[in-house]
Amino acid sequence: MVLEIKDKIAESLAEKNSIYMPQVATITKINDLTPTEKQFFIKIDNPQLRQSFNFLAGQFVELTVFGVGEAPFSIPSSPNNKEYFELCVRNIGSVSGALHRMETGSKVGVRGPFGKGVFPHEKIKGSNVVIIAGGLGMAPVRSLLLQMLEDRKSYKDLTLIYGCIDPGNILYKDEIEDLMKRNDIDVKLTVDKPDDSWKDAVGVCTNLIPQLKYSPEDTFIVVCGPPVMYKFVIIELDEKKYLPEKIFLSLERRMECGVGKCNHCHIGDKLTCIDGPVFSLWEIKNLKEAI
Amino acid sequence: MLYKVFEKEGLKDLLAGIISSYEIFGPRKVDEVAYDFVVVNKPEQVDLNYKRTTLPPAKKLLFPSYESLVNFNFGEKIEVTPVVESRQRVLFGISPWDLNGMNFLDRIFSTDFIDDNYIAKRKKLIVIGYDAEPSDSNFALSMGAEYATGGFDLFISDLGKKYFVRVATPAGDSILQSFIMASDATSEDFALYNKFMENYRKKFKVKVELSQFHDSFEAVYSNNELWEKLAKSCFSCGSCNLVCPTCFCFNVRDDMLINLREGVKTREWDSCMIPEYGLVAGSHNFRPTNSNRLKQRYRCKLKTFVDKFETYSCVGCGRCVDACLAKINIYEDINSIKKEVNV
Repeated sequence: MVLEIKDKIAESLAEKNSIYMPQVATITKINDLTPTEKQFFIKIDNPQLRQSFNFLAGQFVELTVFGVGEAPFSIPSSPNNKEYFELCVRNIGSVSGALHRMETGSKVGVRGPFGKGVFPHEKIKGSNVVIIAGGLGMAPVRSLLLQMLEDRKSYKDLTLIYGCIDPGNILYKDEIEDLMKRNDIDVKLTVDKPDDSWKDAVGVCTNLIPQLKYSPEDTFIVVCGPPVMYKFVIIELDEKKYLPEKIFLSLERRMECGVGKCNHCHIGDKLTCIDGPVFSLWEIKNLKEAI
Repeated sequence: MLYKVFEKEGLKDLLAGIISSYEIFGPRKVDEVAYDFVVVNKPEQVDLNYKRTTLPPAKKLLFPSYESLVNFNFGEKIEVTPVVESRQRVLFGISPWDLNGMNFLDRIFSTDFIDDNYIAKRKKLIVIGYDAEPSDSNFALSMGAEYATGGFDLFISDLGKKYFVRVATPAGDSILQSFIMASDATSEDFALYNKFMENYRKKFKVKVELSQFHDSFEAVYSNNELWEKLAKSCFSCGSCNLVCPTCFCFNVRDDMLINLREGVKTREWDSCMIPEYGLVAGSHNFRPTNSNRLKQRYRCKLKTFVDKFETYSCVGCGRCVDACLAKINIYEDINSIKKEVNV
């Protein structure tokens, strides 16, 4: 058992530092997205740190509500926006609940951005891109979607498949409606429980995959949704012969630290926070417990 | 590495010298049956014939069960300051397997992101190893952890008439030079040391056959029947995690002080054996049953870090075997798993 630690320890820079230290930031705006989800606009207080806060689509932050706790949230806004970033938060736990009770001007703590596994925004240029999102899974992929729309000519056909429980749960509804009017992106919506005015598809988003017409060699697929969704989406994509190395999935796990130390988010030898949260299907194909 | 020897009587002088200059933690009998690494004030308090301590000494000092990471102060502005406490300390008499356990933690806390809260403490810790007596459940020899190649400043071996000491750092050399007379080891001393190690290795009674184990693990991964059988008696209490020298999982939490003007971000040990470990918002649990969790613990100890660091993250100290209320035994389970594959 030979371990080389001496050099690593020597690398440790300042002694008065901590990777657990959040930067103070301000909530500048809050929008209601659905009855359970809110959109937060967050600006880091220190102007220098704000400028150096460069994130990639697919990355996440650890957000501290001081005195309550910390939780990981993926960043749904465009990486090109340097002034602030957004979060989309469902009121479901202690930290998210506390966030929902906060008002414009409230202070929070931010650590990040974290995650080396991100959506391959460079590699997918010149190809067709299909985004498959289920429920709250819309939040992480929105970052990539906005980035692609800001540079639309670099991509071939774009498709968004978005499934929700019911029409009231659709996130970013106004934006989605605007996208449906555009002719440079194909938006396919589906809900499990339609209301009387619903005109789009009914059922799970898996049902819409057989309609895809793109050739496997020329198409990247990005998937994000609840754990149960992946299993069925993968079966359908496999049926259509889409290539595992061109399918990217953003995985959810419990993350306490975000920096690869606390081990909660490990799946075998991968850590979701460091090696992910985005993985290619090829990487995790034989990774037990991943899907 | 320097190799030196010193006379039997030198050990007392060495201890007295260290006690006079440093805060030193050494093995001491703390009651009728238990030993623990505690601060010692007199050389006689150190008992190198100690029986295994409940908590691994390095983890106790470097990665305590509960520690502050960051302080908050809520005044006009929110002030955030890191807590990176580090005192110069000496850890005396740590066994080779516990040393290897510490080396593993060092690697975890310095890979990718440097964890300054841990590393600052580690940098200030002078480590002096000793070939301690293996307990009946110790299988460190099978794990390749009965000998430490690094991570210490000094490593002392008892050759009978004298001590053989491996000097790995200038800090260790300086301690030796300050307090006792040590001479360079001769080829005779090396011959005695080789003989000593040969005999020392014979003291490890428990043998585990690990060849190809991490491949075997893959083969039995989906054998639910086997895992349910192995985990049947598990109470999900987490004792195995608490006593393990290489377990490092923790939770991060925020606490407010009672004055409501100050707060602190802390970490406390977590256990992969308790149900809440894999729980995420919305009540989805990635490892809902005790067989999922035991399987994941064995995977972490015997496969994950072979893939990642090319080493097992189990050092074979046997603490979990003795701590388990349900008598779950990792080395017996390794054999059962291998048998399942070989049928």
